[in-house]
Amino acid sequence: MPVPRLGIICIGLILIWQVVVWITQVPPYILPPPKSVVLALMDHGPELLGHAGITLIEILAGLTIGTIFGAGSALLMMISRGTKHWIMPVLVISQAIPVFALAPLLVLWLGYGLSSKIAMAVLIIFFPVTAAFYDGLRSTEPQWLELARVMDAPPHAVLREIRIPAALPALASGLRVATAVAPIGAVVGEWVGSSAGLGFYMLHANARMQIDMMFAALALLSAMALILYFIADAGLRRLIFWQTEQEGTVR
Amino acid sequence: MSLQIDKTTAQLTVSTAPEISIEHLTFGHADQLLFKDFSFTVAAGQWTCLLGPSGCGKSTLLRMISGSLTQGVAGRIQFSGQPRMRGQAAWMAQKDLLLPWLSVLENVLLGARLRGTLCAGHRQRALELLEAVGLGDHTQALPDSLSGGMRQRAALLRTLMEERPVILMDEPFSALDALTRLKLQNLAARLVKGATVLLVTHDPWEALRIGHRIYIMKERPVRLSRVFLPPGTPPRSPDREEIASMYAQLLAQLVEKRN
Amino acid sequence: MTLLLWVVLTAGPTSSATASNELNVMLDWFVNPDHAPLFVALEKGFFTERGLKVKFMTPSNPNDPPKLVAAGKVDLAVSYQHQHHLQVDKGLPLVRVATLIATPLNALVVLADGPIRSLADLKGKTIGYSIGGFESVLLKVMLGTQGLSLKDVKLVNINFSLSPSLFTGQTQAVIGAFRNFELNQMDIAGKPGRAFFVEEHGIPPYDELIMVAHRNRVQDEALKLFVEGIEAGVQFLVNHPEESWQLFIRGRDSLDDELNRRAWIDTLPRFALRPGALDHNRYMRFARFLKNQGMIGRIPTLESWAVELGE
Repeated sequence: MPVPRLGIICIGLILIWQVVVWITQVPPYILPPPKSVVLALMDHGPELLGHAGITLIEILAGLTIGTIFGAGSALLMMISRGTKHWIMPVLVISQAIPVFALAPLLVLWLGYGLSSKIAMAVLIIFFPVTAAFYDGLRSTEPQWLELARVMDAPPHAVLREIRIPAALPALASGLRVATAVAPIGAVVGEWVGSSAGLGFYMLHANARMQIDMMFAALALLSAMALILYFIADAGLRRLIFWQTEQEGTVR
Repeated sequence: MSLQIDKTTAQLTVSTAPEISIEHLTFGHADQLLFKDFSFTVAAGQWTCLLGPSGCGKSTLLRMISGSLTQGVAGRIQFSGQPRMRGQAAWMAQKDLLLPWLSVLENVLLGARLRGTLCAGHRQRALELLEAVGLGDHTQALPDSLSGGMRQRAALLRTLMEERPVILMDEPFSALDALTRLKLQNLAARLVKGATVLLVTHDPWEALRIGHRIYIMKERPVRLSRVFLPPGTPPRSPDREEIASMYAQLLAQLVEKRN
Repeated sequence: MTLLLWVVLTAGPTSSATASNELNVMLDWFVNPDHAPLFVALEKGFFTERGLKVKFMTPSNPNDPPKLVAAGKVDLAVSYQHQHHLQVDKGLPLVRVATLIATPLNALVVLADGPIRSLADLKGKTIGYSIGGFESVLLKVMLGTQGLSLKDVKLVNINFSLSPSLFTGQTQAVIGAFRNFELNQMDIAGKPGRAFFVEEHGIPPYDELIMVAHRNRVQDEALKLFVEGIEAGVQFLVNHPEESWQLFIRGRDSLDDELNRRAWIDTLPRFALRPGALDHNRYMRFARFLKNQGMIGRIPTLESWAVELGE
């Protein structure tokens, strides 16, 4: 994890933020200066962290369930041509419908607790994960498949030993997108019906004109998303241990 | 049919390798058939080399024999008078096709692994093979850390581990540099004795070094030249006069245009 | 958030973006019968005959319009009195210049045939709300009249999906429901509701809908004329309610539905008959109430945040 570089970028962004505030004289109830946001973070730290924890659980659960669903769907489509014709349209629809439109429905069905937010996160990552993994499974190096065929390998062995490992890099790229996008699902879910979480907190702060607190929550959410992404990236790189940075195609 | 791998020399000895008979093969686009009523017999237990320029159909023929290509193929391919069955052929391609997430040892054992028949005996044999060809220190390494020559060596061992009476090779050494190619040709010639080998190549030297019977493939629809039988046992060295003159003949036939 | 980006990018020293007789007015929500005087005035030409060119716009978030006025992006906004107090406390340079609806509309609503007969029955129950910044104060005071505190109930943010949450039983009461709408909506859905009006349970009376402008603009003649236009609109509305309804839905077919028709009738008695007039005592009383509840820090002099134009 390039921590020093990350630190520099963060400081840079904060500086740009402060400069924008100075130059444009934008009022604090629209864009508060970094100092008041930092103060808000410190003043309301424990409360904010509590809400952050809830949102984190929603995101992690959504990622886990969504990955299982997505990878499973991709495998299903690979194994059975028939299911592909049924799953593919559902996949595309899940991507096309704006989650904002589905959120109230989910909340009505699943209630105001964690499950509706988790469902939102799952919905938002379903397409990226499935599409990426399926693509990877489909485009296995044909010469490997030919070799396996001459070796009289049964289809399940080809899937397990060749197609799946070969498709892991594709799955990984889908998962990277998923970690970046899952927080959106959780937060939108909170906006529509909840009693806790950073999205819920932001709504409250906005309504009470406590814009510095809203931005504090936003900063925390961004930090969380970043950390999540880096952890996922590091984990994926260890999982796919055979890939090196420069590698383009299979030799 | 009995096969043995000698533990000390790593030689694969096949006692009853089949002959491959290709009868009345027809394949290709209607206006430009690649194969038209093509018949050919691959001698049992010998290294047969098919020599020809790129795109002349030699890889296609190989894939028809392996069974990878069946669509649009008319005609009959038999092994010693029997239709082709499972478990008879082994395949070696130009790319080493080592799976990057498996170690060298696991790659060599790929066939048994895929078929679910992996056992301790296999492991033992693979380790001995790897030791014999100089890869003993790299058994746990990932393919990415090996040179091209080492990888193709491992691929060769993987092919041998199949212990099959027919070995089909599609330009297996053409991606390597000249020196490595030489070494691997020697290795292959040394290790495989008695199997029916059909090797496809565009390099006349390669054919001369390790082939027992050489044919040139040309024209469209494909026809084969007369057979060339280089003297001596493979691996041959190029400094013998007969070899050199045969090289000239092969070359002449290769570049000759249809009159 | 996109609003934020746009405002930041175009922010500068506040200045009117429009010509002096053009007014951009941001509504608080989609056009609905709460805005009747505005549209009656529009359709009868009460603005144009005073030389004004008025354009009404709708926001995606009811919290945004006053911020746009403060940032100088629009000339006027429909706001809520309680929200106005909070915003002024945070330093927004806004001034109330007219009242649209002179009574509270907020209510705590329950199912009519449900088990909640009095506020005391809310103990241990789940109350849903839309976030407006005010609901916890309302509930605290209302529950307080029955000796209950916020700890005795479970609060859930349900955004604007108020009555559905009652129907599905996910909540037993909702706050933030406008009495002229929610009750009619529930009636139409076949599950009538019962309302506890906030001003009858401990909350000092206030104006639910007001018009706010930027402090720098209170001397603008155009604003004064605008308020006069609203006055003419209310007058016509009171005198000719049926004809006013026809004017309201003219060219806006989507507004002509059962809910709006019923809400129209229920809202009629609540419009400020003297939109420009300011009840000093009433506003200061509500400000003191909010200060006692800890919602605002200090109470600035009244004329810095609420005026009668032309004074």
